Amino acid sequence: MSKVKKSAENVVLWRVMLMIAVMVLVFCTLLARAAYLQIIQPDELREQGELRSLRSESHQVQRGMITDRNNFELAVSVPAFAVWVDPKVVHDTKSWEQTEKWQALFAVLDLDFKQEIAKIKKSPKKRFFYLKRQSSSAVADYVRQLNLPGVYLREESKRFYPSGEIAAHLVGFTNIDGQGIEGAEKLFNQVLTGTPGERTYQKDAKGRQVELLSVKSAVPPKNIQLSIDQRLQSITYRALKAAVKSYAASSGSAVVVDVHTGEILAMANTPSFNPNNRANVNQHRFRNRAITDVFEPGSTMKPVAVLSALEFGTVKQDSIVDTTPFKIGGKRFADPRFLGDISLETIIQRSSNVGVAKLALGLPKDYFVVAFHELGLGEVTGSGLLGESSGMFSLSRRWSDLEIGTLSYGYGVAVTTLQLAKMYATLGAKGVSRPLSILKLPEPPEGKRVFSEKNTDFVVHLMESVVKRGGTAPQASVPGYRVAGKSGTAYKAIKGGYGDELSGFFAGVAPVNDPQIAIAVMINEPQSDVFHGGEVAGPVFAKIMGSTLQLYNIAPDENQIETLSRKDLKEDKHGL
Amino acid sequence: MHYPDKKKTPADWLSTFHIDWPLMLALLSLMSISLVVVYSASGQDMGLMNRQAVRLGVALFVCFAVAQIPPLVYRRLSVPVYLISIMLLVAVLVVGHVGKGAQRWLDIGFIKFQPSEILKMVLPMTVAWYISRQPMPPRLIHIAAGFAITLVPTLLIFKQPDFGTSLLIASSGIFVLFLAGMSWRLIGFFGCLSIPLGAILWFYLLRDYQKQRVLTFLNPESDPLGSGYHIIQSKIAIGSGGLEGKGWLMGTQSQLEFLPERHTDFIFSVFSEEFGLIGIGLLLAIYMFIIGRGLLIAARSQHPFTKLLAGSLTLTFFVYFFVNIGMVSGLLPVVGVPLPLVSYGGTSMVTLMAGFGILNAIATNKKIYNR
Repeated sequence: MSKVKKSAENVVLWRVMLMIAVMVLVFCTLLARAAYLQIIQPDELREQGELRSLRSESHQVQRGMITDRNNFELAVSVPAFAVWVDPKVVHDTKSWEQTEKWQALFAVLDLDFKQEIAKIKKSPKKRFFYLKRQSSSAVADYVRQLNLPGVYLREESKRFYPSGEIAAHLVGFTNIDGQGIEGAEKLFNQVLTGTPGERTYQKDAKGRQVELLSVKSAVPPKNIQLSIDQRLQSITYRALKAAVKSYAASSGSAVVVDVHTGEILAMANTPSFNPNNRANVNQHRFRNRAITDVFEPGSTMKPVAVLSALEFGTVKQDSIVDTTPFKIGGKRFADPRFLGDISLETIIQRSSNVGVAKLALGLPKDYFVVAFHELGLGEVTGSGLLGESSGMFSLSRRWSDLEIGTLSYGYGVAVTTLQLAKMYATLGAKGVSRPLSILKLPEPPEGKRVFSEKNTDFVVHLMESVVKRGGTAPQASVPGYRVAGKSGTAYKAIKGGYGDELSGFFAGVAPVNDPQIAIAVMINEPQSDVFHGGEVAGPVFAKIMGSTLQLYNIAPDENQIETLSRKDLKEDKHGL
Repeated sequence: MHYPDKKKTPADWLSTFHIDWPLMLALLSLMSISLVVVYSASGQDMGLMNRQAVRLGVALFVCFAVAQIPPLVYRRLSVPVYLISIMLLVAVLVVGHVGKGAQRWLDIGFIKFQPSEILKMVLPMTVAWYISRQPMPPRLIHIAAGFAITLVPTLLIFKQPDFGTSLLIASSGIFVLFLAGMSWRLIGFFGCLSIPLGAILWFYLLRDYQKQRVLTFLNPESDPLGSGYHIIQSKIAIGSGGLEGKGWLMGTQSQLEFLPERHTDFIFSVFSEEFGLIGIGLLLAIYMFIIGRGLLIAARSQHPFTKLLAGSLTLTFFVYFFVNIGMVSGLLPVVGVPLPLVSYGGTSMVTLMAGFGILNAIATNKKIYNR
């Protein structure tokens, strides 16, 4: 009996031991589970916790205006309404039984009745979706009067661009939530929206605010005043559009710059788009080609060679250059028509490739290349515009003689229309380079002298001959004013060389005796019989320049010899 | 008594209270933790704190009182108390007070109480009484009888319905049978039987809300705002604690009322969020110590009845604790089982401490009993 009892007690003891083992196992499991939740998985769980308890609220205010330099409105916000629906309320109140009202609602919102009502019926638990955004206040009034349960209005604002396609690239546009996504709207988004005040707080399960964690005070939105003159912008755009159409070109850009301040007075591209209705607009039309697209500037670069040679002293103002064709490494440098021994003026007037190549090759390579750099090639213009290309030009690379030769007439380098305008603005400012600005400046920025006033002024005078009879671009002349400029026609580089497509340019300044305005025009791929830069871009330049000079009340200088200094008279003698 | 001239040492003086001090110290530390966490979980509700403190006092008193009664008395009382409890359970079903959709409370004028709580102690006692009368190891017929004793109150409580308590009571009876040396073949047989039984339970016996809990346990994210809310919030709270916790009163999920039932069944989540893995390790160690001590008492005691009773009470305490922590950490489905001795709530606290009173009595009476 006692043996049986003893073995029975052993059974109990053994079972107790077994239970202890099981329990140790269970403890480990529980601890492992807690460790898993707290050490392995906590980030996700913590985030979930914060999602449940942290809230931020921001208070949005109306977006600032964008105006031109004379406070003409380029982008304004007008009140608009979003119509939204709370499907749960619709379901709870069974408001779709008022079928006629719903039909009226969708009719005025221009939405399909069956489709929308099905959407609402399908999701009885949802609390919010938009029916239509940016509706006018007239539509909003109508919706309000329908007084359908579950249909609500929310105030928002709609961006309106009074100048339409004229300044579309420059001004840009916002998305439906009022954030700038292109152009100045994007560039100055921060200023235009201000910083909305934000409160971050902790809330409990019932949505009550428990603890205020941080408050960011609001920065009120400001207006942005661009350097653009809407009148000039309009003239520029129209002239450009007409030219691109009549020469069947693929695109065109033009930039007008105030020589003394570096302010961009107009910047237009075609093809453009209507920023007020962007549905179905091809993406390429959104591109601000004047700053994004680069091209080889061709003969518009020729003044650089002449100016560098004068600055370095290899030629004098009255030097004569022999333009006999020559060869470098198998490449023949020649002019379309042999010009013989010609003056610097004739080199510019007749656009002699041999002339500028000879002048360039007579200079130390570094000196010549730096001259381009000083004129702003290979770097952005300082406008700060988004998406601006710095073109293609490298100071640091090694240039061969052949490349120096072709560089002198604008190959092997690529620029934007804006860079071209900046370069001519520097020439117009008598050798003082200034960063360009898209904002109206309270005072002109400090410029940096990159060329001597004497030589720069002389080169500008040389360029006057281009628009005269016998020059390459008489079409660019403006009656009553003395205009200096240079045309360019360049083959477009394609893969493996140059194709058949051309681009034509004209860049210049006026009035010559005291340049105020610099303009660069670029017509891309003209398909008409006329394609030379002087022929396609020259008239656009003349139209814009003429209007600008008149608009700014700049006195005609053509017959004002008496106002010129003796120095000018002397130079005129050479020039003419 | 045989050495009247011998001076009483402090140890002798302590032993007169019939208290197993290591066990008692561990229980007291759990109760202190309970006060600290309930204060945080209730949102610093002093009224609630006072009630909890009074309950702890009552529970301690009951524990102390129960410990003074020799185990022999329990053995004698178990059958009559068992029968009375069964009658009370029937009474609950007939005239019981309905609270939270379940009939659990019996209103006897001055106090409302749950008869099922008494059974938590009386059932293992009765089964132990019965089995210890039989020769060891028990034969199949005795095991079957033990089952019958267990099954009656289990079903009655299940009918209330109170799944959590019926589970605890059933396991307390089964533990006695298991410890008594139920053969492995029989255990295997019941294991196999549990599958068809589970099916019957699922299709005929479980109420919709209970089925929902099981489904929710399997995939809480399926209904995050409905029945999955408890588990998801609880896991988030535990996970937010990290290694060191957010600090006392600093838990966002619990303080901000995202966590439901946070001072009762889900108090472990509050504890985990505020004290982290380190705190959990400490808490589990205390529980482990209590259970280990309980099993030691069972092993040391000399009589089959006390052995079985002590073992069963300890293991039931273990089930309590395991089911609660398993449930809040998403390992087990949500069944309404509080975290023993920590959760806010009176009845279970008093019952548990009464159980530990019995353990104390067994621990300190082993020699007397044997005499």
